[in-house]
Amino acid sequence: MIKAFKSVLISLGLIVLMTGAFVGRSEVSAQTSHLFRTYKHEVPQKLSETSEAIAEGKKVYEKRCWYCHGIEGKGDGPASKTMFPKPRNFTRNEYKVRSTAAGSVPTDEDLFRIVTSGIEGTAMPFWNTISETERWQVIYYIKTFNEQFKKDTAPKVVSVGSVASTPDSIKRGQELFKEVKCYECHGEDGRGNGPLTVALQTEWNMPYRARDLSKSWNFKGGNATEDIYRTISTGFNETPMGSYLEKLSDEDRWHVAHYVKSLSKDMASDVVVKVKLSESEQLPIEPLDENWGKATPVEVPLAGQILASPRHWAPSIDAVMIRALYNKDEIAFLVEWDDSTNKQEEIFRDAMSLQFPTKIPESLKKPYFAMGDSSGAVNLWSWKAHWSEGFGSIASGAPETEAGAVIEMNAKGFKNIVTQPPESQNVTGKGIYQNGRWKVVMKRTLKTEDAKGDIQFEIGKLIPIAFAVWDGSNSDVAGQKSVSSWYYVSLEKPVPKTVFVYVLIAIVIGASIEMWFVARLRRFPPKLEEGQ
Amino acid sequence: MAKKRSKFLMIWVITAVICLFLFLKYASPKIFQVLMAKDHTMPTPSTLMMWYMIMGILAGLVYATTSNQKFADFLGFLLPGGGPTIKILLQKVLFIGFPVIVGWFVYSWAIPGAASPVELRIQHPTLPQEFEKLENPFRQTDAETQRKCIEEGKILFQTYCRPCHGSKADGNGPFSNSFRLRPINFQDPGTIATVVDNYVFWRIKEGGPGLPSESTPWDSAMPSWKDDLKDDEIWKIIMGEYDTAGVMPRQREKLE
Ligand code: HEC
Ligand code: HEC
Ligand code: HEC
Repeated sequence: MIKAFKSVLISLGLIVLMTGAFVGRSEVSAQTSHLFRTYKHEVPQKLSETSEAIAEGKKVYEKRCWYCHGIEGKGDGPASKTMFPKPRNFTRNEYKVRSTAAGSVPTDEDLFRIVTSGIEGTAMPFWNTISETERWQVIYYIKTFNEQFKKDTAPKVVSVGSVASTPDSIKRGQELFKEVKCYECHGEDGRGNGPLTVALQTEWNMPYRARDLSKSWNFKGGNATEDIYRTISTGFNETPMGSYLEKLSDEDRWHVAHYVKSLSKDMASDVVVKVKLSESEQLPIEPLDENWGKATPVEVPLAGQILASPRHWAPSIDAVMIRALYNKDEIAFLVEWDDSTNKQEEIFRDAMSLQFPTKIPESLKKPYFAMGDSSGAVNLWSWKAHWSEGFGSIASGAPETEAGAVIEMNAKGFKNIVTQPPESQNVTGKGIYQNGRWKVVMKRTLKTEDAKGDIQFEIGKLIPIAFAVWDGSNSDVAGQKSVSSWYYVSLEKPVPKTVFVYVLIAIVIGASIEMWFVARLRRFPPKLEEGQ
Repeated sequence: MAKKRSKFLMIWVITAVICLFLFLKYASPKIFQVLMAKDHTMPTPSTLMMWYMIMGILAGLVYATTSNQKFADFLGFLLPGGGPTIKILLQKVLFIGFPVIVGWFVYSWAIPGAASPVELRIQHPTLPQEFEKLENPFRQTDAETQRKCIEEGKILFQTYCRPCHGSKADGNGPFSNSFRLRPINFQDPGTIATVVDNYVFWRIKEGGPGLPSESTPWDSAMPSWKDDLKDDEIWKIIMGEYDTAGVMPRQREKLE
């Protein structure tokens, strides 16, 4: 009897092993995409800086770097046309990530780290794909573009110990952030919306944007506290981001670094936006309503629209955060995104749109994610900020309510967009701009009369959703926008009471089988079999 | 000692299964993080976890049945009396624990969870007929012209394709995170290295919208370049693309 049992077990095991290996493969490969690059600190043994090394470096440069950085290192390579920010001009000292004082050239190690790590959000790739020797060689070569490397014996910034991150230290950092006027560029909440940034962008037409400190995955010089400390100490050459070596004591720079670190959050990315059932009669219509706290946020990275001309190579909005709630009649979405200004012009307005297919797809097939296509129409809920002469100048402080205008549209491709007639306009909405962030609510009934043009929400189904955002101050309009591919919303089914009945039944069955088995075992103990 | 051990065989097997669970759940994500030099932990996928657990339990049962003596000891644990208080305690835990675990399983299956989307697709569908006969006009030219074409192609690639496919053609451009169907990593030997030149020509010209439905054209961010790039430019881009990625196109089979 045992033998038979055993052979069944073994063959079962083999089958499981084979299927297991197969399933495992496909799932692991789906997992490997990791979103953002990081600043790598390790530097190996240096290569000596000989003329042969420089000559070898020239070869590497003229194979891998020149078409961006230019054959003469001037940052004007033939491929730089669609790049923002532009590639580094090596003939000037505009090095950003350094451990040396403002105006000095970086050390060889600094260059090694940045060449190895690349620069997130820009065209600059990470070059850990070429050998360490090649990296040293090309670094020695790019140094020859600038005489200053010969003159400066780069003075290192010395860090004196470190200060532990405590609530007190963060609080002190916050005070200093005000005192030394970081907020003038980076804004009250660090979203890159300070008044100076706004002036830089809109009045002086300068390309600089102060970094959004809440998105530390975009930090060019790394987002560990030591990296932030180094950035504050040394500044970025030839950008508004100055050095605070003189203005702040060593300890104070650590406090500020801890504060900056405390502002940053992780990107809560997910594929399905889970819509929670709300018990209340009315869904929130105010963007600042505390009931939004009950919904789980999902963050979605955005890209410039470069699928069709005119292409948008330099978008300024790189993510949206979305939350949603529903009750028995309605569904409401809260969409938030960081935008350094709410400045806009008559045609260039801050705007956002949600896109759904007009029908919940029954199979895999969906409309084309970019505005649908001739065989699949989409339903667009589009919100546009209000505009009037001289509007949108408040950069921080009190929230500015801009109800804006919501319209519903249908599209079958970007050349075939129609606004729905007044009687089928049934989305309402409202936006608020505060401290560098837009918060926009859009709300509609779950079902509408216009079953042809409007998405009809159903509980428990996966409903495709896509996003688009326009930044007026970046001259975004029409096809010039930030976009995402399809994600999903799913209206969560409440846990039905019957589940508990099932669980109870399962426990009873489990317990009875167990009792039967043990009782049988006790009546015919296994020892007997052995005694035969 | 040996006697005592065999008496608790069932407990040892159960402990081993629990250890396996803890290992998969907590230790292995960290170990893989270190091994693969990732910046984040690598959680074991849930189906994989399920299979490993089934295998673990089966292995435990196989072990318990390697000899009649073992099997008798294994089941013997459930017999009453004849042991220290700890045995009686563990017996009770087992008797209560089993139905609870069954109940928990049913609960986690029965609560409505959001289904996760299935997005199966075929990466390389068949090449449409009108593209089959095409040939890259620059592949047959002299070495000097070819070198120039590759250079021109690389520049075009950097200008138009880089934001998605990355400047090293590794699928890591700054926009790549935004598209859930990620831009293809051309260095991966399973991508453009497995197709012929004119296949790539078709993909660049017609883009995502040109794909048949088994390749989910609605999710593909690959633009159609036919309105913006001339055929010559596309052939050059292809040469620059293969060169940047460091791979070669598949050679065409000789037609009979
Ligand atoms: C696809 C275009 C591209 C290629 C190829 C490229 N770079 Fe860059 N590089 C950039 C851009 C764009 C920046 C500026 C990023 C910024 O300002 O944030 C940059 C910046 C740099 C910097 C300055 C970092 C700092 O701290 O300021 C160095 C050094 C550098 N690149 C070295 C190289 C080397 C060496 C190679 C070749 C192995 C190379 N780059 C290849 C686009 C490129
Ligand atoms: C005059 C405007 C200005 C002021 C004042 C300013 N910054 Fe910046 N900061 C910038 C700009 C612009 C950038 C982006 C530079 C770039 O990417 O070229 C930046 C970037 C940064 C970064 C990101 C670095 C990285 O690795 O990408 C940090 C962190 C930062 N600033 C912190 C601070 C702190 C802390 C203060 C106050 C002590 C401060 N800044 C004051 C303009 C400013
Ligand atoms: C907006 C982002 C984007 C841009 C820009 C882009 N691609 Fe793509 N590309 C994708 C995505 C996403 C895929 C994967 C989906 C698919 O196969 O359609 C892809 C797939 C491909 C494939 C198919 C590879 C294979 O093995 O199946 C080729 C070839 C290709 N791209 C070439 C190019 C070239 C050449 C350019 C520049 C002229 C370019 N792409 C520009 C996003 C982009």
